[in-house]
Amino acid sequence: MDMKKQSVGFYTTACSAILAVVGLVAYLINCGTDYFSNLGVNPAVVACLVIAVVVQAVYLVVTQKGTPIWTDVLPVAASVLLVVATLLFVSVRINGIASIMTFEGNAKTMADLTSAIVGIIGCLAATVVSVAASFFDTTKA
Amino acid sequence: MSKNTKGGRAAMRLWRGLTTVTAVLLAIALVGQVLVEGFRTDIDKFLGTQSSMIVTDESGDKQDLYTYKSDYSSTKELLDAIEDLGERMNEEGTVLLKNNGALPLTADETQKVSLLGFSSYYPVMGGDMGSSLNENHGTDADTVDFVQALTAKGYKINTTLQDLYKSLESVFTTEIESWGGTITYTRITAPSIGGVFSSKEPSQDAMTSANAGWKDTLNDYPVMIVTLARAAGENRSYMPGAAGVDPEQKLNQTDPLGLSDDERDLIQAAIDAKGANGKVIVVLNNSSAMEIDELKHNDGVDAILEIGLPGGYGFYGVADVLSGAANPSGHLADTYAVVNANSPAAQNYGNYAWTNGNPEVSMNSALVEAENIYIGYKYYETRYMDTVLGQGNASNAIGSADGVAWSYDNEVSYPFGFGLSYTTFTQTLDSLTVDLAAKTVTAQVTVTNTGDVAGKDVVELYVSTPYTDYDKQHGVEKAGVQLLDYAKTGELAPGASEQVTIVADVQNMASWDSTADNAIGTKGNYILDAGDYYFTIGNGAHEAANNVLAAQGKTASDGMTAEGVAANVKTWSLSALDDTTLAYTKTGVAVENHLADMDLNYWMGEGTVTYLSRSDWAGTWPKTYMDMTATAEMVDVLDNDNYTITANGNPGSVTFGAKNGVTLADLKGVSDIEDERWGMLMDQILLEDCMIRTGFGGTSTKAIESIMSPEVIQNDGPNGIYSYPLGQYANTDASSGDPCVVSPDDPNLAYHFGTMSNETVIAQTFSKEMAKEYGEICGNYSLWANLTIYWGCGTNLHRLPYNARNHEYYSEDAVLTAQQGTSFVQGGMKYGCLIAPKHLAFNDTEINRTGVAVFMTEQQARENELRGTQAIVEDGALALMTAFNRVGCLTANSHTGLMIDILREEWGYKGLISEDFIQSANYAVLKEAVLNGVTMTCNTGESTMAAVSEKWNYWTVDNVSKDETLLAALKQAMTWQNYALANSNALDGLSSNSRLVSVRTWYDNLLTGLQVGFAVLTVACAAMYVMSAKRKEN
Repeated sequence: MDMKKQSVGFYTTACSAILAVVGLVAYLINCGTDYFSNLGVNPAVVACLVIAVVVQAVYLVVTQKGTPIWTDVLPVAASVLLVVATLLFVSVRINGIASIMTFEGNAKTMADLTSAIVGIIGCLAATVVSVAASFFDTTKA
Repeated sequence: MSKNTKGGRAAMRLWRGLTTVTAVLLAIALVGQVLVEGFRTDIDKFLGTQSSMIVTDESGDKQDLYTYKSDYSSTKELLDAIEDLGERMNEEGTVLLKNNGALPLTADETQKVSLLGFSSYYPVMGGDMGSSLNENHGTDADTVDFVQALTAKGYKINTTLQDLYKSLESVFTTEIESWGGTITYTRITAPSIGGVFSSKEPSQDAMTSANAGWKDTLNDYPVMIVTLARAAGENRSYMPGAAGVDPEQKLNQTDPLGLSDDERDLIQAAIDAKGANGKVIVVLNNSSAMEIDELKHNDGVDAILEIGLPGGYGFYGVADVLSGAANPSGHLADTYAVVNANSPAAQNYGNYAWTNGNPEVSMNSALVEAENIYIGYKYYETRYMDTVLGQGNASNAIGSADGVAWSYDNEVSYPFGFGLSYTTFTQTLDSLTVDLAAKTVTAQVTVTNTGDVAGKDVVELYVSTPYTDYDKQHGVEKAGVQLLDYAKTGELAPGASEQVTIVADVQNMASWDSTADNAIGTKGNYILDAGDYYFTIGNGAHEAANNVLAAQGKTASDGMTAEGVAANVKTWSLSALDDTTLAYTKTGVAVENHLADMDLNYWMGEGTVTYLSRSDWAGTWPKTYMDMTATAEMVDVLDNDNYTITANGNPGSVTFGAKNGVTLADLKGVSDIEDERWGMLMDQILLEDCMIRTGFGGTSTKAIESIMSPEVIQNDGPNGIYSYPLGQYANTDASSGDPCVVSPDDPNLAYHFGTMSNETVIAQTFSKEMAKEYGEICGNYSLWANLTIYWGCGTNLHRLPYNARNHEYYSEDAVLTAQQGTSFVQGGMKYGCLIAPKHLAFNDTEINRTGVAVFMTEQQARENELRGTQAIVEDGALALMTAFNRVGCLTANSHTGLMIDILREEWGYKGLISEDFIQSANYAVLKEAVLNGVTMTCNTGESTMAAVSEKWNYWTVDNVSKDETLLAALKQAMTWQNYALANSNALDGLSSNSRLVSVRTWYDNLLTGLQVGFAVLTVACAAMYVMSAKRKEN
């Protein structure tokens, strides 16, 4: 891969993918914490994040040899998947967050909460960066 | 690439980007619609919207549909009454502990006041999180702090000091660690769980640095009021002894509830400055008993006032007490010990994790309350009496302040029930009769004001029951004295007398004997021992103890702290042990052991725990039970999965979905739950309704169309119905016939009713009338605000001062708790407000409260904490909240002995029950909770089976509908819940023809608009992208 050829879209899309992976890892870690473990793993959150990262990877690879029109749907799809994952992530954690921030706050639950917050921020940042990336091509003309 | 081609690609990127933006926004709007359904209850509460409503078409006089009527004709009258009550609550609930004549202040002295201590300016007026103060501005009852109240009452305060403390704000800010940063409070706070207390009082150097001449100003303002505060909060805790104090500070503070050197220095500075005309008055702003023995014995301190957490109006009352406009009549609801950490209960207060804990099932720690019945004065006064009587090795050094020998004067600063007045009273116990048939003890007491100012007095009736050989052999413990009942006089003019009649319940002097035979051939019974019973009165438990000792022939020469008054003791004798009088409860149910599994010895074998016994104070002194490993049998219970849904019985025999044409409004006010119409109504309810509503009962009971049960809003407390502003659910429909209809532009609609003095102050009034008045005010407020269910009656006991949530509970004493609570709940019920006792039961610590396993003897459970709730329930309470903690190994919600056998059977409880805010599906134990009479968890979610089944995967119609036991329990739970609502003001305005209609809220419309708008934009942007692509191609 010729890095000199890469444009803003490449770096921002890659950045978004990395953030999404961070969000995914944090989510999975959070699912294993004492406080949140009995909520289980929401397959929709995982699926959306994994597919979004795969889509972004495909987009980065395919567009190295040109930008066929069909590839332009990929950043749109990735962004939508990321925002859906973010919303679902928040929705399955919001009651727990509220409870920890009020009724059940202590050092342990706060630690458990941290991975949830990191994951949510990761997903949200991935979404924002992905949306921004969609305004740029991945390679220089 | 040509310029045109570049431009074409740029346009494509732009439209691709814009398509992404609009598609993401469309996704948010679409997913948001789904999420809204799941959180609709919470969103509506937050926004003040309604997604459904019940419409009543009534042609007649609609006012007839309103059963309950307010005493007030406007919100202004209502708020004026709240303000007035708040002021009077602290007039009667403030306790004068010490007074060398400094109080009351003269009119001249009120113009020369120096307020010292940062808490004078930034006081603790409520708790944190629970029972927090709602500050109100721009209403007819704006809240005031100490300075504002004093100013309003005409005091003149030293403004130099005020400016000095203002300039030092940063010194006494308190930071509470929270996720993502810290929350800063400009006042003292209680430590978070696991945290330590930091003294924030500015040092003398800091004050002098801020203003070198501050001490000079004291000459012109020599009346010095020094406020010392300790805060309170839900999910907060003090830790006993030096371990509870910030180790970074070197302020000679040996306990978080004791004083720091900065506080001592401040008081000494005031003493040094007061001169001939000055006074030093210490104001204690706390709800956890502080260690103030040094102030008691400091002759430079002229007076001590305990004011509790006074809410938004209580400082008006404090100002009146200081000036003598009100005569203090409060009495302590807790013992003020010299060293709190020396009590037997304090030996087991902390985080005692299981060695084999399992966070997945909230199996975190255990708390063994090995002190037995001996909390508060039941410990201090009993041990004192045993030292005088020379029994039980009571003088042993163990638990003593000096480590040499236990001596009352070294252990207690101010006893339970103690309080001074600006006048003097005499009390004589004129007569006392015990009527076992009626189960009453009737005392007549004459109270005479022998001083020269008017005032109220409290009559405290105590009993000392015999501690017999039988008790020693059977492990029955007896408090040396215990409060049996109390009453408050009216205001007595100097020289005036009033005869007070107290009719106490014999139940409150009975002892639980787990070994006794009972009426149904099993074990466990209330007993009245053979022997002499001593009844007496006194200004506090210690005076009562001395009276009893005097009647037993003891004098100061025997080691008594003061001579007792034998003349104020009446004796009554029982020739033989009585195990029949209280063998049946008021509901006619025979009592028996139901809490045997609360004793850790039940699980781990006799001898595992030694419970404190007055037969040998030293030999049974509690050790600290820590690092325990739960047995396999315990772990099997502690996993919370204790009921398996199975095909059993005849599920078809439990009717759902019948068409009987009955609505809940048809049963409005029907108090006979055996009325056949209840059966007809509940046969109509759908199984799905029962399953969804028991699962998702948080913040409100939602409407049930099959029986036309309305949504009823729940509110937290106990310092007022504060979850929502007055106007959020108030009725603005002038055509509704509602006598409490409000104008939409009423300035009081923004009022938040988290303004009342906290429960400890209410207890300190020792006035059932004041407690009832508070209930009545809440009832009236409930009518105006349309807020019916109120989790507002904290009945857990002050097992220790270290529980920072004590401000939400009345007292260390069960009888005071029960009597104040009963009056409060009854006051609310007059107006259809469902005031709920909480938390059933044993929520004695905030440490690991979600999961902590609490162990104790059944005698302790029944005579302390449960006795504090029993009378409230027996007198007809219709709402109740369970506890976070476990009762033994089982969650409180699933303990059949407590929830069914005692609560529903022995006490005859017929009302609704909510869990506390338990969000873990495993710990919320839905199936077990329903089987044990819980009518709703505190979770919220979409009103669909899919949603509730997602939370509890066993909770499906297919699964549950094969289990007759569970079906019957579900229907029974919904019957109890709706029975409570039918006997509340929730049905005001409803009639037989009321119907449920769905309402599209503004946010529903907004979401739909956004969906359409973003869809159009997405399509448009995509189209523009395609056009750009074609142009580029061309």
